[in-house]
Amino acid sequence: MNSPDNNRTEQMEIDASAKWPVLFIFAHALAWLIVGGALELAAAIQLHTPTFLATCEWFTHGRLAPAASNALVYGWGFNAAFAFGLWLMARLSATTLRHGGWLFVAAKFWNVGVFLGVAGILAGYSTSFELLEMPRFVTFLLLAAYALIGVWGVTTFSIRNTENVFASQWYLFGAAFWFPWLYAIAQIMLFRAPVRGVMQPVVNAWYVHGLYGLWFVPVALAAAYYLLPKILGKPISNYYLAPLAFWWLAITTAFAGGSRLIGAPVPVWIPTLGTVANFMLVVPVVLIGLNLFGTLAGRYASLKGSVSLRFVFISLLAFVLASALNFAFSLRDVAEVVQFTLLSSLRDWLIFYACFSTAMFGAAYFMLPRLTGLEWRSPALVKIHLGATVLGTGLLTLGLAWGGWTQGHLLADPAVGFTDLSKAMTFWFTVRTGGLALLLLGHVAFLVNFIWIAWPFDSRHTAPAQINPPPALEVLKA
Amino acid sequence: MSAEPDKNFRLEQACATDDSIQQVHAQLQKTKPEKTGGYPLLPLGILGLMCAAVFFGSIYLAHNSIRFDPLVYNEHASRDKPGAQKIVPLTRAQLGKKVFDVTCIACHQANGLGLPGQYPPLAGSEWATGSEERVIRIVLHGLNGPIKVEGKDFNNVMAPLGEALKDEQIANAISYVRASWGNNAPEVTPEAVAKVRAETAGRKTYWTAAELEQVK
Repeated sequence: MNSPDNNRTEQMEIDASAKWPVLFIFAHALAWLIVGGALELAAAIQLHTPTFLATCEWFTHGRLAPAASNALVYGWGFNAAFAFGLWLMARLSATTLRHGGWLFVAAKFWNVGVFLGVAGILAGYSTSFELLEMPRFVTFLLLAAYALIGVWGVTTFSIRNTENVFASQWYLFGAAFWFPWLYAIAQIMLFRAPVRGVMQPVVNAWYVHGLYGLWFVPVALAAAYYLLPKILGKPISNYYLAPLAFWWLAITTAFAGGSRLIGAPVPVWIPTLGTVANFMLVVPVVLIGLNLFGTLAGRYASLKGSVSLRFVFISLLAFVLASALNFAFSLRDVAEVVQFTLLSSLRDWLIFYACFSTAMFGAAYFMLPRLTGLEWRSPALVKIHLGATVLGTGLLTLGLAWGGWTQGHLLADPAVGFTDLSKAMTFWFTVRTGGLALLLLGHVAFLVNFIWIAWPFDSRHTAPAQINPPPALEVLKA
Repeated sequence: MSAEPDKNFRLEQACATDDSIQQVHAQLQKTKPEKTGGYPLLPLGILGLMCAAVFFGSIYLAHNSIRFDPLVYNEHASRDKPGAQKIVPLTRAQLGKKVFDVTCIACHQANGLGLPGQYPPLAGSEWATGSEERVIRIVLHGLNGPIKVEGKDFNNVMAPLGEALKDEQIANAISYVRASWGNNAPEVTPEAVAKVRAETAGRKTYWTAAELEQVK
């Protein structure tokens, strides 16, 4: 083992090599977070105030809603995952991020692809498949750009200078392969050589569920597995269960997508298999809970002093809640009520935002000062971001759950007309708008702090970070 | 970790080096928690959870996948294979053949005709197809002495079978007799047998034809 001082210099080298590619990608991620958040907010407003932007063809709801989700998922989500994933992979592989120039090229291609895709959706060229709405011509651009970035992650792992591999690396490495697998197969089976009839929604559901469960969740878990021992100075508890959880999660998630199609006119074994996969997923969720909440146990006081840990804690709660919802929604009796309501959008939102995005915020608060060598200039803005996230997440979770349940019962009641239903739901759609606006406020606060720390001209007056060399982790005696 | 929270909002300090995190966890991955007497609850609980997930998953799959048929879109569809024969429960008479073939066949013969002069026939017999009260009594307690069947006289002994056979077996056997070889009398239920058995609980001797004539 290296002495702490040696260690520190090595890590500084790694951070220096990763600095510009990661900052470049993360800046794009944040830009998309703001743009996507604004589009999402506008789409949400239209649901209770239908006249909003209704005269502008480009911003009608049918275009705005998919543009928002694509901007957030492919713009914010993927860029954030790339930035954090590449940095953590380099850190844990104890090797510098080499030939970073190519990453700029790849990231630029990716973002041009997302831009063209979102603009294409707004211009009316969208396809009819959820999360694959981007016009066909950007597909190749995205896949090629992804290939370059994914290869960087994998190569960094393969030239690692460490004997051992940590759980975060499994998840990053796995996700690096799962996404292109899902995306390529969905593209081929839906666009290049489309499967017939009812198989199309099956492929689509499989892709959407896989994207959340095999791309965003693993990256969020990688962050949690890394940040908890890193900041608490305490090993993951019951770590011997982690490999089981990893494999079980990976294998069963790939089968779980069918549960989105309960009641749909597809061969009945497909939703049934999805339901069974969701039964099975209880096991890895419990194991991961034992790992991560077990590590936090007895150290909840540390949450007070650490903004990263607080974000990770929100992420963990959301992970458990989203898994519980996935389980509940795959039961046929529950699905009867919640399908096509705010509750089914809550499930996806929980995974993407409350689990994945908050984990990325937590990681960013840890990672960015190390990359830039500067500290966050405004703790007040950090607090605003955290507060907005807590309030917004809580509001949206409760609002969408309660509103969705009401909506489901009204939808199932033949005596309630659709106009009455819309009127009854206005309140809940307004709540949703409020929650999204709160989150957007937090994102703006984060952006300002990011500019102060990362933008060359604005960061000149930010204080340099005093990073203390951390002690070595020790095995706890039981 | 710093005591001032504000300090931490500016910069998150790490409390472990990356390579020590890897080394410690590589070590932990290989070592399960030490057994401290008795069974460790956690691994057992997890094993139980895994088994429960697999068990309920399999049952659910078996019930709702409808043979993975690509043409079945509804979990409430019939679970039978196409062209499968429905299982038809056997009638009392069909079940009774087994009892008859073991118990009655020696005297009354497979064709129900008995042996002329020795054992009376059952096919077409007014005793067998007549009052169920009588025929149940004969089977329960046996019959001794002269009897006229289908116009012919017989004089022999039939052993009591009430101790050897259960009510259901007796009912099945009688139903078989009453529905075979051209006989077409209503079947006899185990409840009827039980009723007669209770009514004649005190009887220790064989019936005679004359006594049975008294029973309607």
